[in-house]
Amino acid sequence: MSVIVHYLWLIPVLPLLAAGLSALAKQRQRVFAASLAIGSMALSLLLSCWAFGLTLSQSGAGHLYRQVVNFRWFQIGDTWVKLGWMLDPLAAVMLVMVSLVGLLIFIYSVGYMRDDENFTRFFCFLSLFGAAMLGLVISNSLLLLFICWELVGLTSYLLIGFWYHKPAAAAAAKKAFMTTRIGDLAFLLGMVWLYSATGTLLFYDSGKGCLETDALINLVTQSTSLGIAASTGISLLIFCGAIGKSGQVPLHVWLPDAMEGPTPVSALIHAATMVAAGVFLIARVYPLMAPLPGGPLGSGAALKVVTWVGAITAFFAATIAVAQSDIKRILAYSTVSQLGYMMLGLGVGGVAVGMFHLITHAFFKSLLFLGAGSVIHGCHEEQDIRCLGGLRKYMPITFATYAVGTLALCGFPLLFSGFWSKDDILHSARVWNGSHWPFYLGVAGALLTAFYMTRQVYYVFFGSCRLALGQTTASEQRTVEHAGLPARRHPHDELPPGPRESGRVMAVPLILLASFSILLGFLGTPAWPWFQGFLTGSRPVLAFGSLLEPAILGTMALSTLMVFLGIALGYWFYGRRALAGAQAPDPLEHVQADIFVLLRRKYYVDEAYNWAVVGLNAWCAKASDWLDQHIWSGLVQALVFVVTGLSWLNRFVDEVLFNRGFDGGCGGLTQGGSLMSKLQGGRVQRYLRLAGIGVVLLVLLLVWGCRAS
Amino acid sequence: MSYLDFLRLAIPETIVVVAALAVLGVDLVVLRGVETRLRLLIGTMISCVGCLGGVAWLLAFPQTGNFMHGMLVANPLTRIVMIALLLLTIATLLLSLETRFTPHIGEFFALVLLGTVGMLFLVSTEDILMIFVSLELTSLSLYILTAFDKSSVKSSEAALKYFLFGGMAAAFTLFGLSLLYGIAHSTNLGQIAQAIAQKATHASAGAGASHLTLDPVLILAIVLTVAGFGFKLATVPFHLWAPDAYQGAPIPSAALIASGSKLAGFFILAKVMFLGFAGAEGTVAWRAFLPGWVPLLAVIAAASMVLGNLAALVQGSVRRLIAYSAIAHSGYMLIALLSHQVEAMAPLLYYVMTYGLTTLGAFGVVGVVQERAGGDRLADFAGLGRSAPLLSFCMLIFMLSLAGIPPLAGFFGKFYLFSFALSAPGSGLGLLWLVSLAIGMSAVSLYYYLQVLKQIYVVPTAASGTSVKTPVSTQTVLVLLALAVLVLGCVPGLVLIPILSALRL
Repeated sequence: MSVIVHYLWLIPVLPLLAAGLSALAKQRQRVFAASLAIGSMALSLLLSCWAFGLTLSQSGAGHLYRQVVNFRWFQIGDTWVKLGWMLDPLAAVMLVMVSLVGLLIFIYSVGYMRDDENFTRFFCFLSLFGAAMLGLVISNSLLLLFICWELVGLTSYLLIGFWYHKPAAAAAAKKAFMTTRIGDLAFLLGMVWLYSATGTLLFYDSGKGCLETDALINLVTQSTSLGIAASTGISLLIFCGAIGKSGQVPLHVWLPDAMEGPTPVSALIHAATMVAAGVFLIARVYPLMAPLPGGPLGSGAALKVVTWVGAITAFFAATIAVAQSDIKRILAYSTVSQLGYMMLGLGVGGVAVGMFHLITHAFFKSLLFLGAGSVIHGCHEEQDIRCLGGLRKYMPITFATYAVGTLALCGFPLLFSGFWSKDDILHSARVWNGSHWPFYLGVAGALLTAFYMTRQVYYVFFGSCRLALGQTTASEQRTVEHAGLPARRHPHDELPPGPRESGRVMAVPLILLASFSILLGFLGTPAWPWFQGFLTGSRPVLAFGSLLEPAILGTMALSTLMVFLGIALGYWFYGRRALAGAQAPDPLEHVQADIFVLLRRKYYVDEAYNWAVVGLNAWCAKASDWLDQHIWSGLVQALVFVVTGLSWLNRFVDEVLFNRGFDGGCGGLTQGGSLMSKLQGGRVQRYLRLAGIGVVLLVLLLVWGCRAS
Repeated sequence: MSYLDFLRLAIPETIVVVAALAVLGVDLVVLRGVETRLRLLIGTMISCVGCLGGVAWLLAFPQTGNFMHGMLVANPLTRIVMIALLLLTIATLLLSLETRFTPHIGEFFALVLLGTVGMLFLVSTEDILMIFVSLELTSLSLYILTAFDKSSVKSSEAALKYFLFGGMAAAFTLFGLSLLYGIAHSTNLGQIAQAIAQKATHASAGAGASHLTLDPVLILAIVLTVAGFGFKLATVPFHLWAPDAYQGAPIPSAALIASGSKLAGFFILAKVMFLGFAGAEGTVAWRAFLPGWVPLLAVIAAASMVLGNLAALVQGSVRRLIAYSAIAHSGYMLIALLSHQVEAMAPLLYYVMTYGLTTLGAFGVVGVVQERAGGDRLADFAGLGRSAPLLSFCMLIFMLSLAGIPPLAGFFGKFYLFSFALSAPGSGLGLLWLVSLAIGMSAVSLYYYLQVLKQIYVVPTAASGTSVKTPVSTQTVLVLLALAVLVLGCVPGLVLIPILSALRL
């Protein structure tokens, strides 16, 4: 076993240390906190690359490289609860992705958060997030994974609400935390069930782990009172956790709101890494989801659910994204939609298909978010795309990289990574033998994706600048008011009023991410499926011929058509003529006003939840309050009277009966003592006489005893 | 069986005797003109070396033997008791390192050692003649030790009372023992028991009854013997010397009377009762009264507990308070004997040993306070907690242990003893009334122990009197004693396991 496997724990612990140290740092020690966070992440990246290289060199044809290190945590009765970490291709890929994207975003944050007074706290939270996410990736125990899972949830909460003085941010943080908790509850239940069924939560434990053959056979053959196999039940419960974390329908509502956090947070947590943790979780417990070829009927039911949820989410979120006007919200719905694609890929094609899209998406979506951040930063915190426009001239680097990200997300043919990964998913969906509908939904989603991204790009970067220059934007005003920044720190005082390109510290990560967005795609083309082979442990073969296979070619052609169609539609609506102004209605509104409003209001899901869940909760609270005031309070009052009465009685008994009795007794005792010590007259003659009398009395006692008995 | 065997068995005693002679000789011949402190130091050293030599011999060469039909007996149990006696003596000696009541240092140490020799012989014999002789050796040494503070009238008065009382008690004892000899025609305890049993069977056969009837001569013998030991142990009604002696005697003498002498006395009383009067126990079980020595001791125990505790309530002098508490404790300890099981030795010895440690410590503290404040009134302890915190803390431990507060040794001793008395096979819950009385009286005793602690910790000092520093040696001994009380309370097995395994042999 290699050294790095033993020291794999260092990868999450380094950022954890950084978080701990910067938690102790003072608010003004900005350089310290930032360099700690970036340095620790860079070290983690190096270690991750080492681990990745090791995995790469060790995996060969036919066998999957997997090393685990388990250790005992604590004991309950006779059983030890064990935790552990593992290194396998899945973990290695995630490690490199998380630490690389994390490092780039950390660097970007230095520029983005430059003016924030809580800079130190921000980096503390970021490091903590990095630690938890990396720990989640390498954990070899569902329990450890769950712990890290909750920790990333916590940091997500902390970072969404980072500008807690904004009521919307505080509300969004609360919403995110509570919504994901619903999924986590099911996850916890699944975990408990798994533990009771297999007696372990370790994934791999040299034959005894819960994802290894023995346990799987046991789980598949156990059936429950619901008529499904235990493995299916557990998988579905765990999948509920993934639904919450990865923003799948119906728990997607928190993710768009989470955009209230700082943009680097949106990029790191709510686009690239944490939200993908649900996908990763499903990939990790995949053996449980799709156990044993030829297993009993219905054992693949969990995967069907995954597929359907993914497909529906992919389409559903894409439709909403079409009608949004907040630059980050559009991206958020796009993220939800892409996560749906990943789930779809997992369901129809297996781990490699879903994970490939996860990795490529992580790069191009964080690129898009960082680009959006750059736009927001350069335009005085303006997020409404209707108020932007024409930025192509002002921010060329941002525009170029954003365009790359857009094309990758749309799945522009051949050159961009999104094309290959999405195509892989669509191809698998097409040949899936369950139903054709997921495929249709996916194709429709691809069309919509291309459309809404084109719309966004036209809004933001083309046409003329619609920024209300010279006056503070509404969101900027809020930020300034709540943060209480001194006036001289205000951007207007130092900088020219127009939109401006971001500094180098923000531009460099953008360029790096853009290049990754292009290049990564070539690792998983049908001609050379290296990535898929790496994850499944088979050796890829370079075969350009497979590109021309009718099935693959057909899918590629179809998705290409969809992309072009989407872009063309976007141009038709938004590119032909410049928008009239910030207040002008959306061109789509002219065509179908009702549907546009429906989409704009996100199908009224939030309102429905508000009415149903929140309303029910409020009604229960009211009912409890009424019960409290009118029924329980009366009971308590009655009880109080009884207790008071008893205590009066008690006091009476105590004072009058016992105290006097006790005092009397004590007095008696003392008197007895005085009497006794009177025996001690001090005259020895008397002593001797008393002793003699004593002897005589004792003799008499015994003699009398003899008589009596 | 030769006298060489006797010498071999008696080597620990011999070592102590040699030490006694050595300390006397060295002090009289070599150290005549030397200053008192040095003489004290050297005397203490020699005596301690002697006692340690005895302990070392006992530990290194454990012997078992029975010389001349129980004249001198050595077995694991006697060995444990002898080691305990020697250790208590060492503590006493170290406490006297800083005393200044006498210029006759050699004599003092020699007497302490001779008294200890008497106790050692008392422990290791099963012969009534030997018992009497060693009892007298001990008592005579203690009389003189009580009188040793010649400058103090109280010391002489106490010694005289002690002596007169002791003389009468010795007469009782001798009379009782000679009656026993008359019954059994033997001085060996085992043979005495056989004779008593024979007589009892004859008597019950004659009376035709199932229960035991006692010969009047035997009754007299029992009562008189018990009276003799009762004097030694300060039980009611033979306790009257104790308050005066405890108050008047120099501190080391009083400590020795209260600790070592008590241990030896209880051990031999138990032995005599268990071995010698084995056929004449009787019973005190509720509504099943049978005459014998058990009811006798029960009456004495009850009387001692009640009188000791009640009288202690009104004492103004801490030494007298400790004396009365000692009487009460003797009462508790007698309860262990009432089960007339040999296993009762375990709770009894644990109790007496830890009680010896505790009371030694208490006397040590009283001695320091007396040096400081010139008296042992309760008021003299006022404010001690402020001026001597460590000393006060030691006193806290001693007093709470005497009161029986967990986790101190006194608590476990009481607990073990009472539970043994209740659970002893055969007695059923017959001793419940006595144990209930004992527990009630323990509750009463808490009052006067807390009185001492109240003075120490709560009452402010009246005047900033002459501050005498606690001597280092005394302080060390006291801390060690307090530590022992604490540790033995927490880990009673340290003492109990050897005793139990010795009993099993």
